[in-house]
Amino acid sequence: MNIVGEKTIRLAHGNGGRLMRELIDRVFARHFSELGPDKTLDASPFSLPTGVAITSVDAFTVQPLEFPGGDIGTLAVNGTVNDLAVSGARPHFLTLSAILEEGLEIAVLDRVVASLAAEARRTGVKIIAGDTKVVPRGHGGGIYFTTTGIGVRNTGVTLGLDRIQVGDAILVSGPIGDHGIAVMLARQEFDLHGNIRSDCAPVIDLAEAAAALGAHFMRDPTRGGLAGVVNEIASATGFGLRLDETCVPIRDEVRGVCEILGYDPYTLACEGRVVAIVAQTTAREVLAAWRDLAGGESAEIVGTVTNPPARVVLATSAGGERILPELEDEPLPRIC
Amino acid sequence: MTDQPDRARNWLDRIRKLPIDRPMRIMNVCGGHERTIAMAGLRSALPPQVQLIAGPGCPVCICPEEDIHDAIFLSLRAGVTVVAFGDMLRVPANLPKSQPRTLDQARAAGGHVRPIASPTDAIRIARDRPDQQIVFFAAGFETTTAPVAGMLAHELPPNLSILLSARLTWPAVAMLLDSDSPGFDGLIAPGHVAAVMGPEEWRFVSQRHGLASAIAGFSPDGLLSALHAVIMQLLEGRAALENRYERVVRPGGNPTARRLIDEMLDITEANWRGIGTIARSGFALKPHLVDRDARRKFEIESDSGRKRAGEMPVGCDCAKVVLGKIKPDQCRLYAKACTPREPVGPCMVSDEGACHIWWASGVRTQSSEPAAAA
Repeated sequence: MNIVGEKTIRLAHGNGGRLMRELIDRVFARHFSELGPDKTLDASPFSLPTGVAITSVDAFTVQPLEFPGGDIGTLAVNGTVNDLAVSGARPHFLTLSAILEEGLEIAVLDRVVASLAAEARRTGVKIIAGDTKVVPRGHGGGIYFTTTGIGVRNTGVTLGLDRIQVGDAILVSGPIGDHGIAVMLARQEFDLHGNIRSDCAPVIDLAEAAAALGAHFMRDPTRGGLAGVVNEIASATGFGLRLDETCVPIRDEVRGVCEILGYDPYTLACEGRVVAIVAQTTAREVLAAWRDLAGGESAEIVGTVTNPPARVVLATSAGGERILPELEDEPLPRIC
Repeated sequence: MTDQPDRARNWLDRIRKLPIDRPMRIMNVCGGHERTIAMAGLRSALPPQVQLIAGPGCPVCICPEEDIHDAIFLSLRAGVTVVAFGDMLRVPANLPKSQPRTLDQARAAGGHVRPIASPTDAIRIARDRPDQQIVFFAAGFETTTAPVAGMLAHELPPNLSILLSARLTWPAVAMLLDSDSPGFDGLIAPGHVAAVMGPEEWRFVSQRHGLASAIAGFSPDGLLSALHAVIMQLLEGRAALENRYERVVRPGGNPTARRLIDEMLDITEANWRGIGTIARSGFALKPHLVDRDARRKFEIESDSGRKRAGEMPVGCDCAKVVLGKIKPDQCRLYAKACTPREPVGPCMVSDEGACHIWWASGVRTQSSEPAAAA
């Protein structure tokens, strides 16, 4: 593809001159069209519906840039939008900072920006500010995106760690570990192949459904996975959490790759799931609501909040139990 | 696959219903078995009289300190690249802090070290780099050694040599049983080792020592099935070797693998780190493979006068953990000075090490139970 008269990003694409203007016009502005900011302005005005404004920022450095089920563009939208959604907010706006590496194929950038724009349309957010920089070859991973999300908390929603009570149910909106394994396989560092796709998707509908039914707390289990979220809840509330391994949805392919490489699926990242803590009396209702929504078909009730001490106990499918620790280090594959 | 949890629960229920009236100490000698036990939380689910003990099941943990020392120094020589299974890269030798103490640190200091996943990777690297001498640091038990023997049977690139640090599993168990206090009443024999070498190797446990034993696979239900067999023998006062991994373990083992091992390797007395010399417990290259022996090729001579040569790191109880004399969390360093992020001893480094496995299964504090006098 020869969109801007060149095939690859050069340092000049970040110098503020003609090449940079062409890159913005023909890649970013072309895909964003009505979503994007007014290019003639240095700063963009925006207005929000009344209510409590909520913001969140996240940087995205995934390798490879494209993987089954998504790419760094879909991730940059959903990663930030989902942080707002699980906080009980409706996302309205994003800002986008792009750091490009000299030598990046413009065709790759074009694909990734196209999917970023498509994901923004799907989630109903506008991109109100943007910035592009180019770093010398070897100083970046092709593309780094940083997005800031701005939203407004939905009326009547009160979520918080302080609302969690002993006896509450723990729900997961779908199979865990898909994103982590999809990206790992896409790196092709091991002679393993599979059909696992990242779960990268917005969770706005899932989060709003649970919040409307009075959920006490929600989180998206990204880095650190389900184990990270439940351990964070335990240490913040002082309560124990008990998970039932037979109820936790994990795809057979994910389980298989984990067994071969020695990964723990509970610590693998998800990018389109919600963990919700809800009153035991409404757990079935939330579950039914989730299962009716796209992305929530395989939702399950996976455990309960218990009395202190603050720790996570996993009741195993074999009938035993053990402590489920949070991720300690970078998960290294077992090599031998 | 889907009914596996049901089968595991079924075996668990059968064990719980048995009239177990006395402590039964049952040892496993395979990191894979210990991993299954820890990750499925079996210790918490079994009757308290049934004590599962992690025994010598980790080749990385007992790999001689001298061999690691030699591999580090080889990697720092000009023109030499050391390739090894990933676990070996972080195992420390007893070297001063000013020197690289692991292969990982040697690499950071400019040494040539590459992790590999199989012997074929070593051959590929040797072919790709004819300008380099490639040394394959091959540590492992029988299951890892068989592919190394298979590799040696092929035409190999002239620049590939082997630093062999291979061990047999059963002699360590025999050594424990010949000692005054073996510390266990029954044995779960290793399924993969038996699949390669044949179940017959493990008959001595019941025939010579009168201990209950069973060969187990690696799923929770397979392991519980073998455990049930051992407990039944103990209750009935019998001693036999039952094969509860029949799908994989056949009489005589794998004939091709055994033939290759016989043709390429001799069985010798060998040193186990922190434990000492065990008769007939090591593999060495046959005389006709002398050109492949990195120790000869690079004229490595071990300096036995070196400080703490051959020993475990200072304060580390790994040797007692490997022999099942103490539980991982009874080591003075466990979860304090020694964690997977900053491991002191090899049992906390290796994926097969009992300390690493216990840590991964959520044991993050030291045991309040004092270690029994060993």
